[in-house]
Amino acid sequence: MRLEGEFTFHAPREAVWEALLDPAVIAQAIPGAERLDRVDEDRYEGTMKVGVGPVSGRYELRVRIEEKEPPERYSMRIDGKGALGHASGTAEVELADEDGGTRMTYVSDLAIGGRIAGVGQRMLDTVARSMTQRGLESLEREIERRTSGS
Amino acid sequence: MSGDDRADGGARSVGRDVPRNEDRLLLTGRALFVDDVEPTGTLHAAFVRSDWAHGRLRGVDVTAARAHPGVVAAWTAEDLGDYWAPGPLLVSPPPIERLEFHARTQVPLAKDKVRHVGEPIAVVIAESRYLAEDAAALVEVDVDPLPAVVDLEAGLEPGAPLVHDDLESNLSARVVQERGDWEAARAQADLLLARRLRYDRGAAAAIENRGIVAEWDARAGEMTIWDTTQAPIPIRNGLARMLGLSEGRVRVVAPFIGGGFGPKIMMFYPEEVVIPWAAMTLGRPVKWIEDRRENFFATTQERLQIHDAEIALSADGRILGVKDRFLHDVGAYDPYGLTVPINSQCTLLGPYDVPAYHSEFLAVFTNKTIVSPVRGAGRQHGVFVMERLLDLAARELGIDRVEIRRRNFLPPDAFPHDNNVIYQDFAPLVYDSGNYRPALEKAVERIGWKEWRRPEMRRGEGGRRRGIGIVNYVEGTGIGPYEGARVTVETGGRVRVVTGVGTQGQGHFTSFAQIAADALGVDPADVDVVTGDTREFHWGTGTFASRSMVVAGNAVHAAASKVREKAVERAAAELGVEEEAIELADGRAFVRGEPACGIGLGELAVKANPLRGAVRGGSEPGLEASGYFGPERGATASGVHACVVEVDTETMDVEIVRYLVVHDCGRIVNPAIVEGQIQGGVAMGIGNAFYEMLVHDESGQLLNASFMDYLLPTADVVPRIETAHFETPSPLNPLGVKGVGEAGAIPVAAAFAQALEDALAPIAPGLEIREIPLKPSRLWELVEAARARAGGEAP
Repeated sequence: MRLEGEFTFHAPREAVWEALLDPAVIAQAIPGAERLDRVDEDRYEGTMKVGVGPVSGRYELRVRIEEKEPPERYSMRIDGKGALGHASGTAEVELADEDGGTRMTYVSDLAIGGRIAGVGQRMLDTVARSMTQRGLESLEREIERRTSGS
Repeated sequence: MSGDDRADGGARSVGRDVPRNEDRLLLTGRALFVDDVEPTGTLHAAFVRSDWAHGRLRGVDVTAARAHPGVVAAWTAEDLGDYWAPGPLLVSPPPIERLEFHARTQVPLAKDKVRHVGEPIAVVIAESRYLAEDAAALVEVDVDPLPAVVDLEAGLEPGAPLVHDDLESNLSARVVQERGDWEAARAQADLLLARRLRYDRGAAAAIENRGIVAEWDARAGEMTIWDTTQAPIPIRNGLARMLGLSEGRVRVVAPFIGGGFGPKIMMFYPEEVVIPWAAMTLGRPVKWIEDRRENFFATTQERLQIHDAEIALSADGRILGVKDRFLHDVGAYDPYGLTVPINSQCTLLGPYDVPAYHSEFLAVFTNKTIVSPVRGAGRQHGVFVMERLLDLAARELGIDRVEIRRRNFLPPDAFPHDNNVIYQDFAPLVYDSGNYRPALEKAVERIGWKEWRRPEMRRGEGGRRRGIGIVNYVEGTGIGPYEGARVTVETGGRVRVVTGVGTQGQGHFTSFAQIAADALGVDPADVDVVTGDTREFHWGTGTFASRSMVVAGNAVHAAASKVREKAVERAAAELGVEEEAIELADGRAFVRGEPACGIGLGELAVKANPLRGAVRGGSEPGLEASGYFGPERGATASGVHACVVEVDTETMDVEIVRYLVVHDCGRIVNPAIVEGQIQGGVAMGIGNAFYEMLVHDESGQLLNASFMDYLLPTADVVPRIETAHFETPSPLNPLGVKGVGEAGAIPVAAAFAQALEDALAPIAPGLEIREIPLKPSRLWELVEAARARAGGEAP
């Protein structure tokens, strides 16, 4: 499954960069995230609950940040696994200044398997897109809240 | 009419629409299915299956599952100990020169490696299925994913990932069969046409999934297994061997089964092998019923083949030769040998005179569910390739599609016709009998072929376009080795027939009853048929290859004829007349011309089992006999399918307006049952042609493993099938019957493709349908491409 898109944050690039790598912020932002811990500098582990059509379940998530070039770009190695299936692959994120804000470009390519692929396929793209959009919007609100100091 | 005629099955009930004996049980919900079986104390199994199509199995941790409440056992491959072994090779390769075949059969639980999504890795057994499923979710499976073999051509490339590491490539088999001189035919040809044709995968999708219940009686040392198998006797024999029991101590019961279609044959599926062992090991009955999602991954499937075919013709449309090279998808293991691709190879020849034929296939291991026969079993592909080539040739040569077929039929005096190739039953493919032209002419007349020349017939409402298709097929049916039956006249006068074949809805309880009834002069309703219980009868093979009526039906006939002889002999003695004077009718034996002078068959059965006196030496008590039948080779059925389709040129939705089947399955025992088989077969063929396709991604994941996404044709898209029968009796069996179980499903895609091209020709000239299954979006793409090539305008 390939997902790509752009999103504009109304915040400076450094603030966006920092938020993107802060497990507490990300855990807030990802829909269904129940926990996200930083294991070391570049590795994160957590659990999230995802429902795709009739297939709803909990997944163990491992993320490793690679090729980090602050505050411009990084890539991630993602492995998710649960009783209902698995997803693994890579994602790349790029940040650029844009009209006083920050434009984020992302692309991810995940191999999906198990029940989530066999039964949820028809909904998978839509669900992933909608989760990404919701996640980015709530990330934007969180960054705004932080930069406004409230 | 004399009794002797009846003994040949000629008189009373055979040939009539006798109401089905089994329908009362089925319609009142009293028929026993495997899921109805639940002995006291039954445990329930859930299987942990691979989510990966291909990968190294690093570890399986069942600790948490074992600790789950209600769990009695959680096992991996290691826990099976010596019982773990690859399954048997079910069909060895036929004796064809230079044949290459690599047998790699499935294992009870995966060890070291997983080779397709859904392959069982562990089993959890608990007090309920719910608990077993919950605990199965706790089993931790550590897999190192490997690149998957999905595409057949890529799978044969050097350096492709290997499904079986110990083989040099993913080649499962390579077989070449040829007759005549293809190169010479090619050199003489006025027209050569070469095309690539593709036929993709679908599910058999029986309404009842698989299931198995095993009960071990430790005191008696006996194992009883209820199994949704089409072949209970081979399953009994195989499981007895695996479990270390004598065959007589294992009873396999295949009760009523909701559809077989091939995948329920004697596969020795992992679940089929693990559950009886679990029952024996735990000392409690164990049950597993497949759910629909499992069925999509774990029950065998069929049909991906890619053919590169070439036909050589003379200018007047006569076939000089055909060359075909195809790739066949076998899935992850090949326990069923070469049956499917051999059928494709042989069936391609069809009802035609093909002087030169060169056919080669490569069977390829892939990381997909195992392939074994599914209703038609490879014959679809052969028919599709030949009929498509003839359609394209007719178009190219400016010959009518029906006419080109007429010109190539084998004539009625050509039989028996030796095709000089080896068929799936290891015997040369010899057509026993046939008369193809009358069936085609009948179809032409009934469907109104000539009227379809008129342009106004071709326009439906709102810009819809209509087209017509007509194709021929032959089907090898009724192969050996043999079946048997035992027929008993009981003392109450009812007749009991037992045979070893399993039954999955074919009407055996009626058609076998008709055969016995006619031999013994009783009403078919007074005949009780028992099938699929190895305690009742344990010689035979099973229900497949459109063979039950041919092989088991003739065995019933043989047994019933022997009982008839006994009854006549005893009645003659009782009534003091010559045997020739005895007639059997209405459940009685009587003196011909003097109906009052007779005796009931039940009473005769009592006298045949005396409590005092002496039974003559050399004679047997009772009115009972066993009989067997083994044909020297299969009987060849044939037919014509014709259909009218209407295409919405905006949405490319297709409606089948009419569907006609003119067929010849030899002598017909029960026309209503035959028509039911054809109706169901065509429905399956329609699904195959336009609705059903299993879609895999490049990592081998099946993407539509539910009925939300996998479309089965429903009543709104399957028309009532019109039928006409021809009866060319088979000379290879006393009843003269040929099989009909698969006939409806085989040529549908070929007829459908031709009708679509015909309908769309005005808007997409040059459109060629070279792939099945289609769907509206794919048809739209093909139409657009054809129009672009033709520089055509919008419809």
